[in-house]
Formats: sequence, structure tokens, C-alpha cells
Amino acid sequence: MSGAGGGKGTKMTRMLEGAGDIVRTHRLRKEFEDLVAVDDLDLKVGPGLLYGMIGPNGSGKTTAIKMLVGLLRPTAGKAYVLGEKVPIVDNISRIGYMPQEMAIYADLTVHENLELFSRLYSMDRELFEKRERELLKVIDLSDRRDALVSQLSGGMKHRTSLACALMHDPEVVFLDEPTVGVDPELRVGFWKYFADLKARGKTVIMTTHYMDEAVRCDLVGMMRLGRLIGEGTPKELMAMTSTSDLESAFMTMARKVGT
Amino acid sequence: MPLIMITIFGYTFGGDVKNIDVCVVNLDQAPANQSMAGAIISELGTRDTLDIVRVYSPSDAYLDPVAIGREKVEDADIWAIIFFNETFTQDAAAIAGDGTGQSALVRLIADGTNPNIVQAISNDILTAIRAVLGTSAFVVPISISTDLVYGEGARFIDFFAPGVMGLAAMMVTFMLSIISFIHERTTSTLDRLLTTPVTEGEIVAGYALAFGLVGLVQSIVIILTAVALFEIQIVGNPFTVLLIIFVFGAGNQGMGFLLSSLAKNEFQAIQFIPLILFPSLLLSGVFWPIEAVPAFLRPVSYFVPLTYAVEGMRSIMIRGWGMGSIWPEFAVLVIFAGIMLLLSAYSLRKRR
Repeated sequence: MSGAGGGKGTKMTRMLEGAGDIVRTHRLRKEFEDLVAVDDLDLKVGPGLLYGMIGPNGSGKTTAIKMLVGLLRPTAGKAYVLGEKVPIVDNISRIGYMPQEMAIYADLTVHENLELFSRLYSMDRELFEKRERELLKVIDLSDRRDALVSQLSGGMKHRTSLACALMHDPEVVFLDEPTVGVDPELRVGFWKYFADLKARGKTVIMTTHYMDEAVRCDLVGMMRLGRLIGEGTPKELMAMTSTSDLESAFMTMARKVGT
Repeated sequence: MPLIMITIFGYTFGGDVKNIDVCVVNLDQAPANQSMAGAIISELGTRDTLDIVRVYSPSDAYLDPVAIGREKVEDADIWAIIFFNETFTQDAAAIAGDGTGQSALVRLIADGTNPNIVQAISNDILTAIRAVLGTSAFVVPISISTDLVYGEGARFIDFFAPGVMGLAAMMVTFMLSIISFIHERTTSTLDRLLTTPVTEGEIVAGYALAFGLVGLVQSIVIILTAVALFEIQIVGNPFTVLLIIFVFGAGNQGMGFLLSSLAKNEFQAIQFIPLILFPSLLLSGVFWPIEAVPAFLRPVSYFVPLTYAVEGMRSIMIRGWGMGSIWPEFAVLVIFAGIMLLLSAYSLRKRR
């Protein structure tokens, strides 16, 4: 039981405030000079869920994710991941993060990238080899294991990046636009894998702007101008707005909020 | 920026060597108003090539000034000691008068680490002698005998090699670091690293180790090439040289890391390179001794880490000194590396 039972009072309080939820934020806010990127965001994501954040570019999805994984300091508000206040330290190896950009080393091979990240998590050799085989199958790159990343197509790089984020089998994984540039056939494979992760009790928090994908999420948070304008299961959201797809649901929600 | 560069370049390149610290031992027994040695010394004093730290007169004879002077040269407190013997004026007069007797001799005991400096000292003495004798003098009845404490047989390449090694180590570590770190940021691999259990300190230390080693390997290649092709001399321990390179390389890596965190992209980062490289190149004593840097720029020289790396390596390679003697330079480099690496780790932490 990592993190729990620490003797310090502050730690106990921290644990209690975010207890039970994988991610919990309270009026989380990020301002960049004159821009409010995330505006008093209240999020609550329980364990074993596929949570999708949807919204147009500039709606604050990436900024929110970056605060949760500890790359950006919130201007105000609170955020807890795995019960620990961000930026998390004790539980850092229990999360995985896939940035929007490629974020892998182009002059290393696929295998070397995976190995590097496994080492950063102090994984032992045997476990690494097992995980590598498994993940290479998911991203369909088993035959390109020893290819230099710089020689891969954009989609392949993207898949490698996803595999790096999942290497250490994290309990919660933050994926920023994981399916961009991934062809439809493989995307189906990805979703199968996400469902698999979920079945194993893992939590997936992802951003996307493919509305048709978001339908597959358990919970969808609609973001616009840094605010959460609607949240619920895809069905609830469509029912609430009397629409038949998430895209229209989003539009209706946006009109309702005004602006 | 180019303006600063050309200004520094103009002032330093081919500039005269000035303010060389020397001691003079004057045992000439001729009366003060007739002493030729005295005249030469005061002439030297009016010129700015040499800074005469101390003149030992016959009254100091019990101190054995030559031995003291030699020791100072050996410790590199001064560059040379200029010695006039008891019969200096007498000898000079004799040979000028009837061409008999032995030629009056100025003995120069110099640190030969830098051939430029030895050259500048003897030239200046010759000039002073001519000035004292007057332009009409046909025969110069005085000769200079030079006795080198270090660097016997040292050529310019021997002086140059440590400078090149320092410069090369700096270029490769600093430039690679500034570029690869900005790359790490723009491709977001840094973001990814920061969400792993790896700490900021570990990232910086890993970089320092890697780039220190790169500098090291490069220096080994340079040393081997220089020995094989140009037969440069390495009097001291080459491993101490490599230790200096390693620490210096790590420091430069930190500097590159820091500067690249101030830049938004590769283009901005690249502009930092000449900013650091030029002052180092021109003011650190790689090509010419610090003594050739104009006095008003010399304080800057002492802020350039390369100055200490080059000075330390020269002391080892030409003077044959060990860590016991070069520790001040080494300490400066360790402090430089320490500050740079700590600041790098701090700047990473602050990014969050």
C-alpha cells in the first residue's frame, strides 16, 4: 500500500480529501498572463473508468492534464491524483502520461525507447520483455521493433509514444490525443486495449476531439473556454440535449451556457 | 552582439603583451649615476611590457636573490627574473671601449610555458638596452642569456595544445547541451521524463555525466593526435588533465542547459553560442596569454571558466605540476560546475 499509512498529519488530510477518487479537482484554475486556460474546473473521476475530455482546441484540455501530471503549477484551486495533492511525488510511478507531441527519442529505436522508459521506472528485465511483447502487439509494431523512430511514419511514432506511456503498467494513464493520426483499423485496436485496461481496474483519462470516439468513454467531460460545460455518460449527455450524437450535444450545451 | 565581438577581437587580436610580472636582481657595483644596469632597469620601468614586481639590490645579496627569484618563477608567481651581475657596467664599458673582456651579460631566468611571453621579455630588454645606449651604438656590448625554468624546448604547439583541448571540450559540451536540451523541451520528451520517478537532479546529473564523458573522449583523441603528429610534450600526469576536462565539460553542460531554458526555440538558443564562445575564445588565453588581453578586459578573463581550465592544463602539461599546485584552478572549475548544475536542476524544478 504505497502512500497510505504515512505518519504525517498533512499526508493524512491529503489522503482524505481526495479519497476514493483517482482524480479530483476543486476550482482548479490556470492563467497564462491575460488568458484563463482553465477556469475553476471541478473534476471527479473514479477508479476503473474511461474518462474522455472533449472540446475544441484551446478549450483547456491539455492544460488541465498538464496540471494533473505535475507539469504545470495551478494558479489557484486544488487537484488530487490518486489521493495525493499535485504535483504528486509519492505516487508518480503509478501514473502514465502521453503528451500530445511525439515525446520519444527519434535517434533511438522503438525497442530502445521502450527500454529507456522501463529503466526509468526500475522495471526488471524479464517484466520489461514481457510488457514489450504485449505492447508491441497492441500498437502493431512487433516487426518494426528495431527500426529507428526517425524512420517511422507519424502514426507509428504516435503508437510508440503510447506504448512508452503504458510500459510500466500504470494505474491511471493520462493520454493527450492518443488517437490522432492513427488509422481507423488500428484505432479499433486501441479502444479494445483501453477496454482491456479498464477491465483490469485501470483508469484512463484522455483528451480527444473525435466526437465519435468519445462515445466509447464511460464518462465524457465537455470543455469549452477552460470550463466544464457538461459532464455525464454519452447517453445522458445526448438525452439532456435531446440530440442523437455528441457533436450536436456539444453544440447545444455550448449554446445553453451562452458565449 | 557582432559589435561587441569585433571590438573584443580588435583589442585582443595581435595585441601587445603587457604587464608581465618580473623581478629584477641588480648586483651591479658601479655607482648609481653611472650604472648601466640601473639605467636599463629604469628604462624598463617606463615601458609597459613588464611590471617589475621587485628590484633586489646588492643590499639584499644575503637573501640569495637569484635563488629566491628562481623559486618565484618555479611557483609561477612571476614570469621571469632578470639578473645583472656585479661587473655589468664594467664589462659593458670594456667591450664598448676596446672590444676586450667578456661581454656584459643579462641573465634571464624565465618560465618557458609560454614562448610568446619569453619572447616579449627579451625583446623588451633589448629595446631598453638600445634606448640606454642611444641609437648611435654600433655594437651592442650586452647579450642576453635565457635560462628556462619550464618548457625547455617548448614550441608554440605545446603552448597551444592545452588551449585547443579546453576550447574543443567547451564547444562540444556546451553546444551539444544547449541544442539537445532545447530539443528535449520542444519534443516534450522532457515533459515525459518529468512525469517519471526520475528527479530533476538525476536528469541534470545524467546529462553532466554523459557530456563530461563526451568531452573526455574527445580530449583523449586530441592528446593522442597531438602527441603522434606534433610530438607535443606532456610533462605532468595526463589523467589530471582529463579530470580537469571532465569537470569543465560538466560545467559547460550545465551552462548550456541553463541558457537553453531561457530560449523558446532552437533559433534563440543558437544565439547564445557566440555570446559565450567569443569571450572564451578571445579572453581565456587559448591563443595568446592573458597578458596580451588589454588591461580593461582582463577582469572579464577571470570570469571565463575556460581561463582556468587552460591555465590548469598548461601547468600540468608544460610545467609538470600536479593537483597539489593546480588546485586553485581546479577548485574554480569545481565551483563553476557545481553552481551551473545546481542552477540547472533548480530551473527544471521551477518549470513545473
